Amino acid sequence: MTEATQPLSKADYREGFEYLETRLSRLVTLWLPLGIILIVLIFPFYWMALTSIKPDQELINLQSTNPLWTWNPTLKHLRVLLFETAYPTWLWNTMMVAISATILSLIASVLAAYAIVRIRYRGANWVGGAIFLAYLVPPSILFIPLATVVYQYGLFDTPFALILTYPTILIPFSTWLLMGYFKTIPFELEECALIDGANRWQILIKIILPLAIPGLISAFIFCFTLCWNEFIYALTFISNVNNKTVPVAIVTNFTDGDVYRWGSIMAGALVGSLPLVILYAFFVEHYVAAMTGAVKE
Amino acid sequence: MAEVTLDRDAADAMGGRSLWQRLQTNRNWLGFWFMLPAAGFLILFLAYPLVLGVWLSFTDTRVGRAGEWIGFENYAWLWDDSVFWLSVFNTMLYTVVASIIKFAVGLYLALLLNRHMPFKAIIRAVVLIPFIVPTVLSAVAFWWIFDTQFSILTWMLQKVGFIADSFQINWLGDATMARASVIFANIWRGVPFIAITLLAGLQTVPASLYEAAVIDGATRWQMFRYITYPLLTPIIAVVMTFSVLFTFTDFQLIWVLTRGGPFNTTHLMATLSYQRAILGGYLGEGAAIATAMIPFLLAAILVSWFGLQRRKWQHGEGND
Repeated sequence: MTEATQPLSKADYREGFEYLETRLSRLVTLWLPLGIILIVLIFPFYWMALTSIKPDQELINLQSTNPLWTWNPTLKHLRVLLFETAYPTWLWNTMMVAISATILSLIASVLAAYAIVRIRYRGANWVGGAIFLAYLVPPSILFIPLATVVYQYGLFDTPFALILTYPTILIPFSTWLLMGYFKTIPFELEECALIDGANRWQILIKIILPLAIPGLISAFIFCFTLCWNEFIYALTFISNVNNKTVPVAIVTNFTDGDVYRWGSIMAGALVGSLPLVILYAFFVEHYVAAMTGAVKE
Repeated sequence: MAEVTLDRDAADAMGGRSLWQRLQTNRNWLGFWFMLPAAGFLILFLAYPLVLGVWLSFTDTRVGRAGEWIGFENYAWLWDDSVFWLSVFNTMLYTVVASIIKFAVGLYLALLLNRHMPFKAIIRAVVLIPFIVPTVLSAVAFWWIFDTQFSILTWMLQKVGFIADSFQINWLGDATMARASVIFANIWRGVPFIAITLLAGLQTVPASLYEAAVIDGATRWQMFRYITYPLLTPIIAVVMTFSVLFTFTDFQLIWVLTRGGPFNTTHLMATLSYQRAILGGYLGEGAAIATAMIPFLLAAILVSWFGLQRRKWQHGEGND
């Protein structure tokens, strides 16, 4: 009985109208365009990785060997990167700034999102709207006045200039995301806790946060990615080589006069992307949830 | 901090106020304390600088020198500045061309990914990688791909026979090519975001609608035009607003690839304001350029607002 129904139900669940297509039309309308788009999307990374392990003479001579492959991989560029530049410091700076700013933002956002969604104080809707508007204010119109503000507060050229300004990008986004998440947690749980004498703070810590862990992970990795990605503030507020972040240092600190050290630049770009790609590989679903959640809400 | 307030509120409550009053004060005060950290950040580092930026644009502030009010002089100066108008034109061109192509390719890719296929999860994960990797780092890869002498793209075109073997394409040195190159890099970077968010929208379209359409003899195009597209409109509105907003204010890609060159033909308003304000030291003038971007941003936000409104109306939801 089960054997007879199994194939039928499987066929039932097939999405779309695949059975109307021939293999050839499927190849032309699906796999061919998809393949081309995927190759274009991935090629820059392949080229980045390949450049970082190619010997110098192959980098500047495309004619004698096939440039799309190398038979003489070298770790020279990576060695130069790690031992002859301040790259480890830059990586450390980026990591520190990203983690501190993300944690600060998450604390602020959890409190704000909870207050907007569940405490519903007077004007909560209005504040929610204002936070959404804050999300739409881009860094490129803020960096000039922010530079003067940062200078006035005496934060110029310190990591705090970045740790304190990045949350303005992160808080609106993560508050909005967490608001959506908190709304899905049943109200009744809180009512029970209130009846049992818990206060709002206890409810937040002991009931809401454990239930919102997937949302917190989404917000955390997305904020972390945004921090790592940030460029214009880091470029404007930091001038000391030892305080730079990876994206800024890659662009400004890898030229010997007129000569670009392409091998090391690419190795730097590759190593700088790896932490995010690894994080991404483990949390793909959370990334997608964060991305689409912020748009859907 | 919150603990302290709670206790105080509790003490207030014991002072014999009515339940209704207690709830009111509790709520608003609690809300205030909970909002404090977020509000602090946003007011100190977002709202205040936003206002300060507009004020700076009416002064002649320079780096290391406080400015004085000079009225509309910065704007009058920019009005007669051909480089500024060129940057406005570039920004428009960049935004319009990149957004249209990003939307077309993104929607197409979303429709492809929505079909039934093996390894779907892996393919989707791979598509998102350009969005995950920091823009500057992938822009650096494009910088190398678009190199004048050792461009792999030129090599490929030579091998295919598209151009002569000795011919070099000046990807970032020629005005038209430079514009095309930066727009291409922007599209490359933006397509995954649009494709994945639209894919999420597509997955909410009920399959039964398509089944009904097939029974009625609808063609593929009719199914897209009369089912997929109308149901996807709200999410398209939001996604495209974000896309336009971030393309319009783009800085990173241009700064890495061309720094506005050759001869300012790829300068966007954001890069020009950075050059004038930070590198040139004329903070007031740079702030005026940044302020000039605000009307465009407001237009984009209005589009987003109406997109959201329409969505609520379609879902028949109340004001929540």
